[in-house]
Amino acid sequence: MSRYFSTFQLVLLALFAALVVVAKIALKLPLQLSGHSGIFWMALIVVAAGIVPKPGAASLVGLTSGILAAFLGLGDFGALNTFLSYTVIGIGTDLALLLLRDLENLTVAALVGAIGHFGKFLVKWGLGALTGAPVGFVALGLTKAMIGYIVFGAIGGVLGALTLRALRRAGFFVYLAEKR
Amino acid sequence: MTQNKRILLALLILLLIVTAVLLIENGRRQAQAEQAQSLMPPGMPTAAPGSIPIYYNDDLTASFQPTDLEQLTRANFTDTEEGKTQEGWMLRDVLRLYLPAAELTPETIVTVISNHRGKSVQLTWAEVDAPVNMVMFDLSGRGTLKLVSLLPRLDTREEWVQDVDRIEVISNQ
Repeated sequence: MSRYFSTFQLVLLALFAALVVVAKIALKLPLQLSGHSGIFWMALIVVAAGIVPKPGAASLVGLTSGILAAFLGLGDFGALNTFLSYTVIGIGTDLALLLLRDLENLTVAALVGAIGHFGKFLVKWGLGALTGAPVGFVALGLTKAMIGYIVFGAIGGVLGALTLRALRRAGFFVYLAEKR
Repeated sequence: MTQNKRILLALLILLLIVTAVLLIENGRRQAQAEQAQSLMPPGMPTAAPGSIPIYYNDDLTASFQPTDLEQLTRANFTDTEEGKTQEGWMLRDVLRLYLPAAELTPETIVTVISNHRGKSVQLTWAEVDAPVNMVMFDLSGRGTLKLVSLLPRLDTREEWVQDVDRIEVISNQ
């Protein structure tokens, strides 16, 4: 298999990037917890990385969705923060996939989701620390936020793995092999 | 390397990053607490990390501490912009903890500031005190306070004051 992306794969990844942004805008969960959007976010990234199993696939989804989100003015902390948050989720997922490979394994997918989504937390926290943001009023606020990002990222990863399994059963990967 | 070893290694890496973040954040909390304490006049309580100084007629009068939250009643409302529930503590209750009621007249000006965000909002005590306006602090995702409200000029994310780090009260009396 070529290490380069085919046009078909690039189109697929761009569609996933658009889906990430649409999901962020349209899907609102009534949860008062940090990082809860990781449920659908990481599910989409994991499915994208499973459908196009090449290094850099998740990063490409992250980068593209980051550019889209920044131009659409998403996020409370400005365009740079939004762009980096989206991009780092992809890069974090790709880094996790260097170590963990079988995305249809639920444990692996949960870990990949948790690590990828934690990248977003690191960007938000890191930029806040660098720009002198006040520390949390409540001491455990940051710990709760970290747990939220990891747990919801892991749940998203599991949902992504379940979707990949369902797609395999439906013969989607056979269809993709013909397209390549 | 077996799958189990890879999973354990990934878990270890994640744990190391989390530990590093907690250690760095702890250092930041200590540094900011020392800085806040250096501003406190003698005889005032110790400034806890993340506490918010309250200035009354340009004098540092008090520091809003996390421990004070236990004395406050929680309030909530659903914001009109995204329909999310904002939950926290009313600004009027916070100010009443530190300032005598006689000092807070309807014309008293209350300014809530975020130096980090470069944002601030100026309200009258009449606006702060009206229950219908729901002028209150909500806890943000990373544990800082943000001022939210149902007031028409303070009812969207753009208008809210996130990362609040100073409260000023000016009385005409």
